[in-house]
Amino acid sequence: MRSIDIHAHLTPQCFWRATEGSGEWHTLKRQQDARGREILVAGDRRGQLPPKSSWTPEQRLADMDSLGVDMHVVSPYAGFYNYEMDVGIAAATSRESNDEISQMMKSWPDRFAGLATLPMQDVSAAVAELERVMVQLGFKGAMIDDKINDKLLDEPEYMPFWKAAEQLGAVILFHQGGDTIVDQRIKRYHLPNSVGNLADRTLTFASLVFGGVMDACPDLRICLSHGGGYACYGVGRMDRGWQRIPETDRLAAEPPSAYLDRFYYDCIVYTEQSLRYLIDAVGIDRVVFGTDWPYDMAQDWPVSWILSMDSLTQEEKEAILWKNLEGLLGL
Amino acid sequence: MRHIDVHTHLAPQSLWRAFQSGEDWHGMGYEAQGEAEFIVGNGKRILINSPKLRYTPEERLAEMDEEGTDVQVVSIHTPLFPYHWDTGAAIQMSKEVNDEIAGMTKKWPGRFAGLATLPVQDVGASIEELERAVNVLGLKGAELDMVANSANWDEPHFLPLFKAAESLDALLFFHPQPQDNMVALGKTLKYGLPNSVGVVMEDALLVATLIYSGILDECPNLKVCIAHGGGGACFGMGRLDHGWMVRSEARVNITRPPSAYQKQIYYDFLTSSEAGLRFLIDSVGADRVVIGSDWPFVGWDPSPGGWLEGLQSLSQEEKEKISWRNLEALLGI
Repeated sequence: MRSIDIHAHLTPQCFWRATEGSGEWHTLKRQQDARGREILVAGDRRGQLPPKSSWTPEQRLADMDSLGVDMHVVSPYAGFYNYEMDVGIAAATSRESNDEISQMMKSWPDRFAGLATLPMQDVSAAVAELERVMVQLGFKGAMIDDKINDKLLDEPEYMPFWKAAEQLGAVILFHQGGDTIVDQRIKRYHLPNSVGNLADRTLTFASLVFGGVMDACPDLRICLSHGGGYACYGVGRMDRGWQRIPETDRLAAEPPSAYLDRFYYDCIVYTEQSLRYLIDAVGIDRVVFGTDWPYDMAQDWPVSWILSMDSLTQEEKEAILWKNLEGLLGL
Repeated sequence: MRHIDVHTHLAPQSLWRAFQSGEDWHGMGYEAQGEAEFIVGNGKRILINSPKLRYTPEERLAEMDEEGTDVQVVSIHTPLFPYHWDTGAAIQMSKEVNDEIAGMTKKWPGRFAGLATLPVQDVGASIEELERAVNVLGLKGAELDMVANSANWDEPHFLPLFKAAESLDALLFFHPQPQDNMVALGKTLKYGLPNSVGVVMEDALLVATLIYSGILDECPNLKVCIAHGGGGACFGMGRLDHGWMVRSEARVNITRPPSAYQKQIYYDFLTSSEAGLRFLIDSVGADRVVIGSDWPFVGWDPSPGGWLEGLQSLSQEEKEKISWRNLEALLGI
């Protein structure tokens, strides 16, 4: 039985090499905190780089072997979205990390597939890079943030991006970068991550549905990481909100719950009860294996976690671990 | 089966009387714009989004009879929370509203119970008013927003309020504002998302904040109820546990994983689906779930209690607990 992980990040070796000593990678720098931990310095932004994020592809493969993971659909570290920066910088960092993923795919074609990062602050530059990675480099899609400098992805300016993604057959994985919606409220207890990631993903589901993007692009393939946040659990209230919108003002033809099975969701929900609920809500063909490698919020021993569940059939386990992604990505 | 409803809103008659005589109500005025009507003032513009907000107690009772609700636990319509008002005005308004609700509970003791409004910008005044509301007026506790202006409830200066609620045996019912919440703060006002999505996130964040803050250890007998079934809190509880295991900042105040605390909290049953309610019950226990209809904003088929009784996946015992037994014991009604 294979296992294919769609939620596995890469902090590219080109960054580590360029920032050796006090070097820069397209204005990005690196420093160590008081405990000796590696910290990304990107303008005013800081991001913690866990030990495994500096690992070479060979070290990554050894870790995948120890976890029983056959394939990583590799996406760049979300700290490298660089959407707030000059588009030239974001285009350069995108291109360089995408090229590195491409090299990994060429060297180990049965172990790595790729999701690109894109300079989303410039839609035409983002579309150009998406075309390049899909057509020339054989990527499977891209990973983007839930918001581009405070704008959600249903804004009309992003429609050309959605149309291009649809035409190219690209899978778009949503994953937060930088602050989540919870940061403005409270930063304590890791809440910007443990609640914020789920809140941001819920807002993405809602805005793409309510905003009519899913109607305008019927073949769009979107994967929501972290199980889509509260989307499947909170969709009943969204249905009531949709009913309150006058029919002539509705951009979504159907109530939001009718769109649950239009999205894909990774399985990082941490409890069997929640995973079962997700499957029952969105359909077993819509739940895919994702682990959040190599971060501390990753699911521990993810393959054995899925395999050990009593409430999933063998068929459901195989659908999640590999069959769904094999079909979706043609792997 | 008896039906007790913890989640019912009230815009006080004192407000409508003031508007009728062309007067302001604590700095809030009436404004019509085409067919839309608003309560405007103190930096807010509140859409009057249900004609039932004007109902007198008698009209409310008639509807309760129709839907078979025995007792409504009444609390203020949350956009009227006075936390951002001048402190003096907020104290005065709280007293006035609490007196009005107490009047309803005295006139119809078998039909209404009440939750107080508190001027939380002044913690001392809030404790004083909560004591008066519970000891003098016979209210059952208070309704609180998710935040007090920009302050979260885990900030140390609020602890005396929680201690007071605990010693008064008062229920604290937390309910977000449908518009002024974190989704609206993020300026995502379109499609009604602050209400349809923001409310769920706010409830989930509050459950997480209360748990991580250690308040439930500091005040082990504190009675807390969260509206809308606690939002997505129970569904996302695994992530809170994982955060507690891997992040030291998540462990500063609590010694057990977050999921161990979720049964210390009560939740209303407003999860918007049977599957969601079943999941909530399986997570926190039927002892911790109560009817909360969000009157008058949700159209129940056929009624809040009728909806509950018609559910296939709940046992009769679970329905009895949720419908009345839990609130009867919790509030002594």
